[in-house]
Amino acid sequence: MPAPTSKRIRNTQLRRHFIIGNESYVLPHPLFPDPPDGHTKGWKVYVRPLPNGPDMTTWLKKVQLKLHHTYANASRTIEAPGPFEVSETGYGEFGVEIRLYFAPESSEKAVYREHYLVLAPYGTDEQKARQERENLVVSERLETIEFNEPTHDFFKTMVSEDQFEWLKVLEGRGKGRKKELVFHGETEPTAQLPERPIAAVHGDSGTGMAAGGAWSRLYERQVLGQLQQSGASLDQALEHERREMESRRRKMEELGMAVAAK
Amino acid sequence: MAAKAEGPQARRFKKSQFRSHTRPAHWSAEETPIAARPDQLQARRWRRATQGTDEVALPSAKFAKYNVKVEVPIYDDETYEKHLTSTEWTREETDYLITTYREYNGKWPIIADRYEGPRSMEELKARFYHVSATIFGIRTPISGMTAPEFAHYDTLSTFDPAKETARKRLAEGHLQRRQDEVDEETVLLSELQRIMLHQVSLDSEREDLRRRLDHPQANTNGYQYSTSQSLTQLWQQLLAADRLKKNQRLRPTGNSNFDGLPGATPTSARPRDSISGMPGDRRQTRDSLPSATTAQSVLPVDLSKAELSRYGVLINQDKLPSGVTFASDRLSKPRIAKSTLQTDKIAAILTHAGVPELIPLPTPAVIEGFEGVMGKVHALLEMRKLAEKEEQEIRVRMAEAA
Repeated sequence: MPAPTSKRIRNTQLRRHFIIGNESYVLPHPLFPDPPDGHTKGWKVYVRPLPNGPDMTTWLKKVQLKLHHTYANASRTIEAPGPFEVSETGYGEFGVEIRLYFAPESSEKAVYREHYLVLAPYGTDEQKARQERENLVVSERLETIEFNEPTHDFFKTMVSEDQFEWLKVLEGRGKGRKKELVFHGETEPTAQLPERPIAAVHGDSGTGMAAGGAWSRLYERQVLGQLQQSGASLDQALEHERREMESRRRKMEELGMAVAAK
Repeated sequence: MAAKAEGPQARRFKKSQFRSHTRPAHWSAEETPIAARPDQLQARRWRRATQGTDEVALPSAKFAKYNVKVEVPIYDDETYEKHLTSTEWTREETDYLITTYREYNGKWPIIADRYEGPRSMEELKARFYHVSATIFGIRTPISGMTAPEFAHYDTLSTFDPAKETARKRLAEGHLQRRQDEVDEETVLLSELQRIMLHQVSLDSEREDLRRRLDHPQANTNGYQYSTSQSLTQLWQQLLAADRLKKNQRLRPTGNSNFDGLPGATPTSARPRDSISGMPGDRRQTRDSLPSATTAQSVLPVDLSKAELSRYGVLINQDKLPSGVTFASDRLSKPRIAKSTLQTDKIAAILTHAGVPELIPLPTPAVIEGFEGVMGKVHALLEMRKLAEKEEQEIRVRMAEAA
């Protein structure tokens, strides 16, 4: 009888970026036709892949979103392929517990992530002003899931070209030829971060972004630059402490001699 | 009934109530000698005759039992010449001391006060004890003494006058202390105890930090591996040791000259082969075996480097955790320390340095950068902690030096 789980590949890791986030609108809004009384905001919480990345359903089969217990049917389950989103109306912010169920080939247990639902504008004044103007508040996070020591079957599905099919367009190359999937677009699909933000609606830096647009290597470099600056300031603080310690050591020696002389 | 109003007071009781109904006792006052005193002093006291007879009891008989005398060492001239001579004490003075002791019943403060001479109490005591001990030792040999006797003898002979004077002076000083001095003393003692307790740990912490800041010192000499031969040997040793381990870190180079064992086997296993291309071929295939154990071909699908990157596959990773992990955890977990106070301190340092609370992009490069920053944060925290302790010590020393 074949073993239920195939062997795992050692020293190997599979990485996928995906986005967890939520959008929020002030009601009334065309997307939310008939909100109940007292609900001031409409929101949508989602789990999305990168815009030019491989299909998420390869490894993610089901997502369960647990809303606040005051909602009817607080536990919303969405299976592949559908967009893993839940739209609702409300007035308060809370933490949404997201449970990710993986593909059976991976033979991994489900994991929980938490996402805090942001409804009100945030950030610097400029960002807040923009969010209010466009009537769209977005709070997103790039998550990287790492499958450590994947099984052989899982590995094979995760490295097949089929994952990128959802980005491709079926078109014929000419008369009499079979239609095939061709990719149109600027950036080649890959599991890594794109060089530049795609569909750069908010191409510049900032935390207001939509549809995973601003996740790019550009942003990564900015974050790295920021971290380097912080590192430099910390180095300064360390230097300062070191000098203090030296002066203290000298002082202690002096005092030690003074005490011995007494 | 009307009261009889006679005299200044009305008499309520009958006179006969107060009359004595027994015959009066006989009392006499005579002078009698006193038993306790050695001289002939006559004391005159009223004494009552005992019941039935006219005889009067002797007065001091009742109190005779309180005439205890102290035990005093007695010696004759001979014994004195043999054992008790001393440079500081003459015979007369020793006798005088013993007499005084007996007279004042062995109460040393009184003896010292009444003693004529410039001797201090300790000196008198010392001489007396020495005499007592010697006499006692002569009387009963040491082996024949019972336990309490021997204890007694021992205390007598180990009397040290200098120590006793010092001790008494110290006790006196203690008695005369003022309240604030007492308080100061208690505070200082507790400080001292704390310092002693922490001395060891503080020293080791300081050493640890200094070592971390200074250039790391190598334990072994690196020059023994400078020749290519010794380097090869080192490589072979490490490779052999690595092969025994569960997770192999080293990959054999495939060149038999360098790897030692795998290459050595075919050449030694087939010594009879002629010097043609055959052994060369075999050597090649043999050598491909070590490379076959590398991780690349373990993958079910062979991927080029571009494809690896395209599908987000990372190979030859060491120390992978099991199951599914998230990269963003490595940006948030290090910020949390065991106590909320420490967590707050870390958060304060990070905001001061300009690191945002939430970093939404957990790529490997960002994670590395963040880990570097966290390392510096921890170093800073340690230094600050040590700084506090050193400041405290400086304050203590300054108070000491003042």
